[in-house]
Amino acid sequence: MSYHQDGLLDIFVGVYVLSFGFGILLMTVTEFSTWFVIPAIFPAIMVPIWVSAKKQITMPRIGYVKFGSRGANKLLAIFIGLMVAGLGVFMAFTFASKSQAWALTLRNLIIPNGMIIIGISAAAISSLFAYTMGLNRLYAYGILTLVLFLTGHFITIPFGYFLLTIGLVIIINGFVLLMQFIRKHPLLQGDETHVEKSL
Amino acid sequence: MSKNPSDLKTIDRLIHEPSRLMIMTQLYVVESADFLFLQHQLQMTPGNLSSHLSKLETAGYVEIVKEFIERKPHTALKLTRKGRSAFKEYQQNLKQVFNDLPK
Repeated sequence: MSYHQDGLLDIFVGVYVLSFGFGILLMTVTEFSTWFVIPAIFPAIMVPIWVSAKKQITMPRIGYVKFGSRGANKLLAIFIGLMVAGLGVFMAFTFASKSQAWALTLRNLIIPNGMIIIGISAAAISSLFAYTMGLNRLYAYGILTLVLFLTGHFITIPFGYFLLTIGLVIIINGFVLLMQFIRKHPLLQGDETHVEKSL
Repeated sequence: MSKNPSDLKTIDRLIHEPSRLMIMTQLYVVESADFLFLQHQLQMTPGNLSSHLSKLETAGYVEIVKEFIERKPHTALKLTRKGRSAFKEYQQNLKQVFNDLPK
């Protein structure tokens, strides 16, 4: 049994991807150039909500387990590394899209193949998480992202719309998983009290 | 084949019982878990689980910490150092028994 069968991870990742999408669309429409502030502040707001949701929804249903700090630290290191790398790629993409002389080389490399680069990177990151966390549905998200971005390389649709599509698909799947989880694991009454008496 | 059938006597029977083996295995791979988690993982009734936990606690293999979190009773379980080394020894002894069997 995985601790992420509850779909909460999907909902929050989906909202995170949506925030990227809205940020980029906002930049396209309003020339709001610091769009990356939105996904950057997102974790600070959403992580406490996620922790609280885990406490309210997941733990009362399937209990609580604390893994050793060694494995958790490894996963956290991978996560932080990937977040920093991802933000770096997006910032490089943003800077390269402006006509600064020093960024020309980068621009010539990234801009024509931007969708392919991001698609492959996102699929690779997704697969890495799927492998590390044992969550097969993350492979599906990776494939979806890759297919959409490869399609986007050939069709001229604003980049933000692809992110909105991916985000929405992940959120919907998250809610479906959450409903299934709640149905499969109804709240049990009295188990802990029973233990308190019997142990 | 095991050179001496009495080698089987080295197997810790307290751990060898299937339900307790599952409990020990679950707790071995985590730092701690609560009662509800084990119950869901092992598909055991509360009474059965608490009975096995009591035996493991008596042997000094499992530490049971009872506390209140947000006014609700909560039972945290973890392997003691003795329990961890007993489980490792159990693993080695069982492996040895199988290694000694003819192929």
